[in-house]
Parts: sequence; C-alpha cells; structure tokens
Amino acid sequence: MLAIVGLLWGSATVTIWKSMHDEERKLQLIRKQGTIDTYSPRAMADLREWIETHPADPYVDEARDRYNDCVETLREIDEPFYDWNDDEIASLEKL
Amino acid sequence: MVGVRYRVEKADRSIWINMSNGNARTVREEWGTRFGFLMAMLGAMVGAGNIWRMPFTTGQNGGGTFLIAYALLLFLIAIPGLMAETMLGRYTGKGVIGSFKQILGDKRYAGFALVVVLVNVAVMSYYSTIIGWSMYYGGHSLLLTFFESGFEATPFWESFVGSPLLTIGTHTLTMAAIAGVLVFGIKRGIERVVKYVMPFLVIALIAIGVRGLTLPGGMEGLAFAFTPEWNYFLRGDMWVAALGQALFSTGLGWGIALTYGSYLRKHDDVALGGGVFTAVGNTSIGLLAIFAVFPVVFAFGLEPAGGANLMFISLVQVFPQLAGGPLWAIGFFLGFFFATFSSGIAITEVGVTTVTEETRLSRTQSVLAVVGVIWLLGLPSAYDSSFLSAMDYIFGNFGFPLATLCIIWLVGWKLGPERARVLDLNRNADLYVGSWWNGVVKYIIPVVLVFIIGNGAVNSLGTDNQTLMIGGIALMFVLTAVSIWIMRIVPDGKSSDDSVAASQGGD
Repeated sequence: MLAIVGLLWGSATVTIWKSMHDEERKLQLIRKQGTIDTYSPRAMADLREWIETHPADPYVDEARDRYNDCVETLREIDEPFYDWNDDEIASLEKL
Repeated sequence: MVGVRYRVEKADRSIWINMSNGNARTVREEWGTRFGFLMAMLGAMVGAGNIWRMPFTTGQNGGGTFLIAYALLLFLIAIPGLMAETMLGRYTGKGVIGSFKQILGDKRYAGFALVVVLVNVAVMSYYSTIIGWSMYYGGHSLLLTFFESGFEATPFWESFVGSPLLTIGTHTLTMAAIAGVLVFGIKRGIERVVKYVMPFLVIALIAIGVRGLTLPGGMEGLAFAFTPEWNYFLRGDMWVAALGQALFSTGLGWGIALTYGSYLRKHDDVALGGGVFTAVGNTSIGLLAIFAVFPVVFAFGLEPAGGANLMFISLVQVFPQLAGGPLWAIGFFLGFFFATFSSGIAITEVGVTTVTEETRLSRTQSVLAVVGVIWLLGLPSAYDSSFLSAMDYIFGNFGFPLATLCIIWLVGWKLGPERARVLDLNRNADLYVGSWWNGVVKYIIPVVLVFIIGNGAVNSLGTDNQTLMIGGIALMFVLTAVSIWIMRIVPDGKSSDDSVAASQGGD
C-alpha cells in the first residue's frame, strides 16, 4: 500500500516540480528571445501527419498556421524549449 | 449608436473589444502565475469529499484494494478526461456556453452547455450550506468553543443545524465572501486567495497526520484504511465506488477545468498541469486526509464514519483531548473551510464567466447576479438538511454524470479527439500525449458515465431512494429539454462575436 501512496504523492510532487520548472524555463526563453517553439518534435510530426491526411478538414487552416508558426519560430530562435536538434529544424518545411 | 470594434492581439487569440454606448469590453484575463493556476485547479477539485468521504470510502471498500483500483482508474480515465476539459477551455478561450457555441457552430445543441452551467448552479446552491457549516466550525475553533468546560459535540451540532437563523446566516455569509473574492477577477481575486489557502490546507493535514500517527493506537486507523482485502477485487460495488471517486472527486466534467483552462496564457501547458497534477494532487490531499483523520479517530476509540458526523461530532470531541488541542483544531477546521471555500469559488466562477460572456453585464454585475441566484436557490437546503441530502443525491448521481457526458461528448464526438490532441493538447505541453488518449475520450469515458448513471438507477430500485431516483432522472430530462429550448430562442451573446469555423463532426 505504501507503493500506491508513494506513487500518488511522488507523482504529485514530481508533476508540480516539473510544471514550475518548465514554466520558469519558458519565461526565461520568452524574455531572452521574445518567443518559444510551441510543439515538440513528436507533436509536430503528429500535426504534420494530420494536416496531410485531412486536407479538407475545417480546422486544417488553423492547424497549418500553427505548424508554420512553429517552423518559423524554430528558424528564428537560438534556443528551443523542446528537444529539437539543428538537423531536425533544418529539415522542417512550411506546409 | 453604432458600436466601434477594436481588434486586440492577445496571446494567440484575437479578442474583439466592443465600444458601444460607452461600455468597453475588457480583454480576457489570464492567470498571473503557473503556481496560481495549479493551486486554483487543486483548490477547485479538493473539497469536502476528499476530507470527509474519501477516508471512509477507502476503509469501507477493501482499503488498499480500493486504492489500487482507484489509482488505476485515475490514470486511465480521470486524467485523460481532465486533459480534454482543460484543453477545450484553453483552445476556445471561452467559458462553457462560448466553447460549445464555437465548436458546434450553431445554437441548436448549445443547450447542453446550459445543462453544465445549471448543474453547477444547483450544486453550489446546496454546497454553499456545507461551506457555511465549515465556516461556522472554523470560526468556533478560533473562538476555542470546543475547549470550554461542559461543551458537548452532538447537542452543539444539532442546535446549529436546527437553527435556520444560523444555517441561513452562514449560507449568506458564504455567498457574500465568494462574491467578495470573485469581483476581483481571476488574478487579483481567485489566484490571490488560493495561493495561500491551499498550502495552508496541505501543511495543516501533514501536521495533524504526523500528530495522529504518534498517538497510541493511531496506526490502527491506517490499517483500517489501507489494509488490502483482496477479495474486493472481484466485487462490482468496489469498482463502482472507485470509479465514482476517481471521476467526480477530481472535478471532471463540472465545467471548472474548462473555465479555469480558458484563462491560461499562450505558452501554458494543459496536459501535465490541468490533467496529471490536478488529478494526482487532488488524490494526494485525499490520502493526506486519511493520514490526518483515521489515526486520530482510532486512537480515541471512535467509530470510523464519513460525512458531517465525522467532521462535526467525532473530531470535535477528539481535539480537546490532544495536547495543544486548540492549535490542531484551528488547523483542521480552517483547512477544511479553505478546501470547501476554494471549491465554492470555482463552482460559482463557472456561472460568472458564462454570464459575463453571454450577456451585457459587467463582471461585477455578473458576480452579483450569479451569487444572488445561488443564494436564493440555496435557501431550502440551508433551512432543511434533508432537502440538501435529496439535492446531493440527485445531482451527485445524475447531474454530474450528465454534465460530464455533455463536455466529453463535445470533445470526443464534435471537436474530435485526434484533432484536439494534435492541434491543441500537445501545444506548449510539458507532457506528450499519444493517440491512446483518443479512444479513452471518445469511447471509454462516455461508456463509463452511462454505466454509472445506469448503475445508480438500478441500485436504488426497491430502496428508499427509488422515488428520488425517478424524480432525479425526470429532472435531468426536463433540464436538458428546457436548456436546449432556451438556447435556441435567446439571442447570441458576446462569446459569439469572434466565431471560428465550427466542427463538422468528430473524427
């Protein structure tokens, strides 16, 4: 039972710590660069795939704008928030 | 006079500000800090149920076995559901009705949004009385009433609930205090309060838990709550209890996560804070309550129970026997008051945000209108606790599942979970959410909700609650029909001003 209690308390502690830590980092990057990337590499891949497979969806324009905004931001900034490497950023193309 | 519209770029959303007849529409507020948002979500979801229901429910349903089932269901259902609801608010940047209108694109079924709001108003009408009880006991803990010679807990409780002057008075004070917080808005009102009261609650529960465990016999309380009885794993009622606790004690589907999520900033995450932290943080406080309550109860040989009897009769008798009792009593009862009060703020804010967006009323006028209606509807519950119990039965068993079903239907079947996930849930997320989430939101949660409603109805057949069950289900049908009709005939509110392409159906 201690494992369940520990799992829940541990999850709550780690979650609030990570949430606050990520927030601090986001704010630092925004202060430094004016903006931050909005999607992680995996989330961007999902978004791209969805846009390509749903060309007639009523939300596709909004999705494309969000995708392209993130590509543009990644090209402009020096330090991304998510775990992007230079090759991944260079291979990104606007949709 | 023709209104002038100013387009203001705020975060990633365009907000129209109407300047009509001198009435300026202000830009939507945002949470000031991440900590403030997290504490607001925690404060909203942690309420009386965590402290007076969860310890007893755990002990009654197989102890540790219940906790294992509960934790499984928490991660499987409650967290994905909370992610969906918070994401919806963050995505639309609107309250409940505004979100429904934006996703549905027309008013035909926006009545389901009104159902969510009305369920909140109805729940707050009787929950205010409970907050009033906790306020009364919090006040008396400060006055050291429980430590006076000749004090008797049961007559004190009975004289309090038997006095309409006192119960209606505390109900009135509660709503006035909530109005006093809400008129200051999100950042200067709600956030300013929850940033202090939630840490106070956690510290108070930890301190009382440590004290309880050091009492002779205190460990028996933990044994009652945590010792696993493995045969419960095969008992359907244990799973139903765990489902109910996991779904409704986390506040899923009340419209609170949606409303609070709508005040998130551009770069804020939803998945980790709005989903995981809200659910596990809420549960952690429930576990802390077990540590705080049961060791003390068992150490003094009292019967373990739940609800008002536990809080206002059993524990009141315990504190005078503890060394430094006044300090423990103040910590406990003020903590309990803060837990209920912060939930009351959140439940009321659902209505306030909606009225502010959908009418021409200012925020202050909306606060006064919503609080006034809740106060009026709450008078019968404050006057007669059996009416309160009936309301709790009806809305707890049928109102909340219906409201949750409405919100999950919107995300799962109208916006579409894959669309929601790739477009918004994973945007600025501190935690990547995979496609497993889609099936949970679209199929599992709705099926579970329908099962809970059906199970509650079937179980009440042939019991004293049968009439209430039939009345409750009938009330939900009437509420839904009337809400849909109202939303069809009322003109569009302010939230429709910046309309976005509507969903053509879920994926």
